[in-house]
Amino acid sequence: MKALAIARTNVRRLFRERSTIFFVFVLPMLIILLLGATFGGGLTPRVGVVATGVGELGEQLVEAIAGGGDLEVVRYDSREALGPAVERGRVDAGLELPANYDRTVRSGGEAVLRFLARPDQLGPQLRAAVAAAAAGQAAELRAARFTVAETGSGFDEALARARMVAVAIPSISVEETTAGEALLPRDLGTFDLGASQQLLLFVFLTSLTGASALMETRRLGISRRMLSTPTSGWTILIGEALGRFGVALVQGVFILVGTLLAFRVDWGDPLGAAAVLVAFCLVGSGAGMLLGATFRSEQQAISVSLLAGLGLAALGGSMVPLEVFPRAVRDVAHVTPHAWGNDAFAELVRRGGGIEDILLELGVLLALAALLLALAAWRLRRAITR
Amino acid sequence: MQRAGPPVLECTALRKRFGDLLAVDGVGFTIAGGETYGLLGPNGAGKTTTISMVCGLLERDGGTVTVAGRPMTTRSVEAKAAIGYIPQELAIYPDLTARENLAFFARLYGLPRAAVSTRVAEVLDVIGLADRAGDRASEFSGGMKRRLNIGIGLLHRPRLLVLDEPTAGVDPQSRNSILGSIEELSDSGMAVLYTTHYMEEAERLCDRVGIIDGGQLKAEGTRRELVALVGETDRVRLSAAGELEAGLAACLVLPSVREASRHDDGLDLLVDGAAAALPGLLAALGAAGVTVRSVDVAEPNLEAVFLHLTGRALRD
Ligand SMILES: Nc1ncnc2c1ncn2[C@@H]1O[C@H](COP(=O)(O)OP(=O)(O)OP(=O)(O)O)[C@@H](O)[C@H]1O
Ligand SMILES: [Mg+2]
Repeated sequence: MKALAIARTNVRRLFRERSTIFFVFVLPMLIILLLGATFGGGLTPRVGVVATGVGELGEQLVEAIAGGGDLEVVRYDSREALGPAVERGRVDAGLELPANYDRTVRSGGEAVLRFLARPDQLGPQLRAAVAAAAAGQAAELRAARFTVAETGSGFDEALARARMVAVAIPSISVEETTAGEALLPRDLGTFDLGASQQLLLFVFLTSLTGASALMETRRLGISRRMLSTPTSGWTILIGEALGRFGVALVQGVFILVGTLLAFRVDWGDPLGAAAVLVAFCLVGSGAGMLLGATFRSEQQAISVSLLAGLGLAALGGSMVPLEVFPRAVRDVAHVTPHAWGNDAFAELVRRGGGIEDILLELGVLLALAALLLALAAWRLRRAITR
Repeated sequence: MQRAGPPVLECTALRKRFGDLLAVDGVGFTIAGGETYGLLGPNGAGKTTTISMVCGLLERDGGTVTVAGRPMTTRSVEAKAAIGYIPQELAIYPDLTARENLAFFARLYGLPRAAVSTRVAEVLDVIGLADRAGDRASEFSGGMKRRLNIGIGLLHRPRLLVLDEPTAGVDPQSRNSILGSIEELSDSGMAVLYTTHYMEEAERLCDRVGIIDGGQLKAEGTRRELVALVGETDRVRLSAAGELEAGLAACLVLPSVREASRHDDGLDLLVDGAAAALPGLLAALGAAGVTVRSVDVAEPNLEAVFLHLTGRALRD
């Protein structure tokens, strides 16, 4: 098949450049390590907590937040001390419990927790962890209150019983948590989410390098010469796309397997993860081909690729989780392939879905890829024959 | 040598406009099987534009192209299989070896995988790069790159070889070897479409020549036919001494002499039918007191034809 011959030559030429070794092998390795260091527990985020006179339940919540060992809790006396500490980055986030916390929740009232975050990537994740802990306690309290109402037993006794049940049937507590106010489920390692987003960001950028590769073959007069042979424009485009698609896919698999083995990252259903990766790399290659067929200079193609790669990723939730955006922004974000890719991974990783649960996301990604490739084929033919 | 047979290429009334510029305006010609046809014209005449339409690389604004009986468009696949196109600018991968470049295009020309390496080796022999086959094209001299560029178009043994100024910017030795290869290919029965602005190349290689200028085909025919357009006027250059002024006057009264002028050590004449007129001419010069040391007769060439047709020299 001619497209394969074109793809093979594309890749062979890529590997003739020494810098490729870094780009194809070392960079993903660095990314695996970097992700591990950032999210994998090497760095413990610090949360500043103001909790004076919050009573027994208040102290228990603080313990729950510190409990997993994923967070380090630093105590502050007052809101006035906590604010500057967060601002100056001495802690990564701040949490203030109301002084009457214990009394309020025992009486069934609403206790409002004030959460302060720095405008960085960690903020939403810490907020999620705090929310998860609060939701966990809320679930136990609701159960206890229910017991008190039904059986007339004492609150503390009921609470103790509720906790026993929660431990014995962990699935209930998980259910309660996701249904409650938590943004992210409590059992989600922050690493998992960060990893899938970074993966998509990275493989998209890699597939976009097809743009400058195509520009170069155009500049060398080789695309034109290919068209003088009995080879259709479509075949030429598929061949060129296939080369960088293959490289991006190999890198993606490498990162996937690497993080899985080295950091025990859960990517969800392997078949599903592979399918998202393939569809996503196809979109990236299609976008790369369209840019490469449209632009006039390699410099232009490279800078626009970079902008597109990073911009789409930012909007599509590959830098900050989509969940923290308002609904309207989240809808707009779904013009980006990244949003669909992240949705798919969220389904696989967080909700334990299989490939059958992400058919919509896969369908959207594949349709987008087909559209981009068709547009690119049309642009390429025009660029040569006009 | 002109060859018979059904036409390998037929194009009529080709037209291409770039903005306000009518780059090709009604060009049409036919190439028979095994025939070598030259498009001779100066820079910007429209040669590359014409060839690009012939090879299905450029959308045309008008006209038809038929290659080996099949219509050619930018989407044709069958018609393109009959052509080996060698672009004016190098179109090779500099970071691949000669062998890799050839093998790659062999696949695109549709050679079966098993046949590729044998055919690549044959072509490497033809273009004289067999001993450099494993070197990257970027390490080649200009002439070697040109030969590789040509070799790619030979891989599938096309019925029509289209070469767009294959010798541009090439040293005389490489040029000679390139012209030699084209003659051999032509002798083996391949039809050739050759563009050049070198009159000597067109004269040496081509069975028929089309003279193109300003996007139009000004005249077409064998060398003899084209030269006949100018008439039978030969350029005679005499190197002589003695009474040159008297000799000049004596020449000008002869009916066969069209023009005469003096130069430092002799006379330049334009003479109708020099072969017949020469004895009388020399006798008249002798009588006028001129001693002729040597005579140089140049028959009219395509350069003269171009001058005659366009009023301009082929090259500035
Ligand atoms: N893509 C293009 N866009 C605009 N004008 C063009 C384009 N290609 C060619 N031209 C113009 O068309 C005319 C014919 O160009 P063409 O390349 O066919 O000439 P040529 O005979 O091959 O010349 P040369 O001997 O220099 O290669 C020129 O005036 C050229 O500037
Ligand atoms: Mg040209």
